[in-house]
Amino acid sequence: MRNEIELEAIIEDYLKGKLTADEQKAFEQLRANDPVVDHKVVAHKVFLESMQQYADILLLKEQMDAAHQHIDVAALSAQVKPHPSRIVRIWRNNKSAIAVAASFLILAMIMLYSIQSQKKQVGDMQLLAGKVSDIKGSQDIIVRTINGDNRRKSTDATPAKFGGTGFAISSNGYILTSYHVINGKGSIYVQNSKGVTYKVVRYYTDPVNDIAILKISDDAFTNLGSLPYSIKKGVARIGDAVYTLGYPKDDVVLGDGYVSSRTGLNGDTIAYQVAIPVNPGNSGGPLLDNNGNIVGVINGKENKTEGAAFAVKSKYIMEALNAIPQDSLSKRVAYGKRSSLQGLKRNQQVQKMQDYVFNIKVY
Amino acid sequence: MSIKLSSSVPTDREVVLGILNNSEEALNKLYLGYYPMVLQFILNNNGDEDDAKDVYQEAIIVLYNKIKSGNFELSSKLKTYLYSVSRRIWLKKLTQMSKKTQNIADFEDVLVVDEDIETHEQKDMQFDKMKVALQSLGEPCKTIIEDFYIHNLSMHDICEKFGYTNTDNAKTQKYKCLQRLKKLFFQS
Repeated sequence: MRNEIELEAIIEDYLKGKLTADEQKAFEQLRANDPVVDHKVVAHKVFLESMQQYADILLLKEQMDAAHQHIDVAALSAQVKPHPSRIVRIWRNNKSAIAVAASFLILAMIMLYSIQSQKKQVGDMQLLAGKVSDIKGSQDIIVRTINGDNRRKSTDATPAKFGGTGFAISSNGYILTSYHVINGKGSIYVQNSKGVTYKVVRYYTDPVNDIAILKISDDAFTNLGSLPYSIKKGVARIGDAVYTLGYPKDDVVLGDGYVSSRTGLNGDTIAYQVAIPVNPGNSGGPLLDNNGNIVGVINGKENKTEGAAFAVKSKYIMEALNAIPQDSLSKRVAYGKRSSLQGLKRNQQVQKMQDYVFNIKVY
Repeated sequence: MSIKLSSSVPTDREVVLGILNNSEEALNKLYLGYYPMVLQFILNNNGDEDDAKDVYQEAIIVLYNKIKSGNFELSSKLKTYLYSVSRRIWLKKLTQMSKKTQNIADFEDVLVVDEDIETHEQKDMQFDKMKVALQSLGEPCKTIIEDFYIHNLSMHDICEKFGYTNTDNAKTQKYKCLQRLKKLFFQS
């Protein structure tokens, strides 16, 4: 028994490395010679290792339990536990996925919206035939009365219901304007820049392109002479400087601007969009470029965008001109030719132009 | 992805060095740092606070053993490692309790840690064996053995503590206890 205890103690000291060099050597000798001792050493080694591990883990657990004491588990649980609401739980668990999906959706909507708004102008077109009665034209009438124009018809005494602008397309009194200006019943008169009024009749109408041609049927009318402008062949480019003469009031008004789009309202290919200040009464007015070529006929504006007007392209003016018998037009407006206004300054162009631009009055 | 949990988290190197040096402070920091993460995982997957504590402590033991065994390489973040181990342990427990393990709500990336878990389970068995053996040893043997092997008291201390007349008696007593314990441990 005593020997057993001694042996156990030696084995333990041996495994823990507590023996002196001599003792260790002697013990290893003993161990090599005695399988029973050797077995005991191995078994004790395994046992000691297990015991050491047990002790380590036990200590670790104690330390962790101590650390655990510092945690306010209840508060933390409240913070991280699954929310009673299913929706909130789904939200928490899939926050990133939902965020991605949502941003994708928003992006798609923005893209759709911008495509739509690119395609479609929100505003409507407002036709620019002026209600003359709304416009204060009475002073001019008085002035003309004082001038004592003997060719003026008696009907002039009552103000016109509608007004617009037109321009000559031949020297013998054919005048082009917008269809919507003379649309409807009532007699039509044109008044030139000098205030002389002539009676006209509807000669040709093209409601689709919003173009009408009137003919002066007044004995007092004499020939206009050759027209200074010509009609532009081909299309105007965006950014081309343009101007228009018109009668938004009873006197001729110059409007200056540029071509802002090759298409009109909602992509209408008949018209250009023009950045130019126009008002009721400008309809039917010629739109000219700096070389004195007519590029279009003003016929409307966007009622929600400031400075967006529309003009029917010159191509459709030519279609209208070609639709009427050519022999009835004497010295008709040139097409695609160099205009005699080319090279002149704007004020000189206007000076020459204004005799050929008429104020159209519908009673 | 998960709710931001406010607790200061030690750097991974700090933890590894701390554990190798048996620093209790490092262990504390580690423990406090990642407990909320595991708590959140367990609470959201059919468990309660006690489950979270058990699973988390087990995961730390896995990490501890891995670091101590010397073949630990920082190939991933400790956070990810602890999360993956906790997750694996909890999934096993759920299976054992035959609760559903579908639709696990995850809050972190997951690593494959099956090998580490297996190693851990073997060690855990040893631990349990020792625990059972010690418990069935009975007093005063259990305390004598624990004092000597775990609390590292000398035979002289034990002699005094238990009131043996001399150290030899104590040694004899300890010898007898040890023999019984070994028998219990190796035969179980």
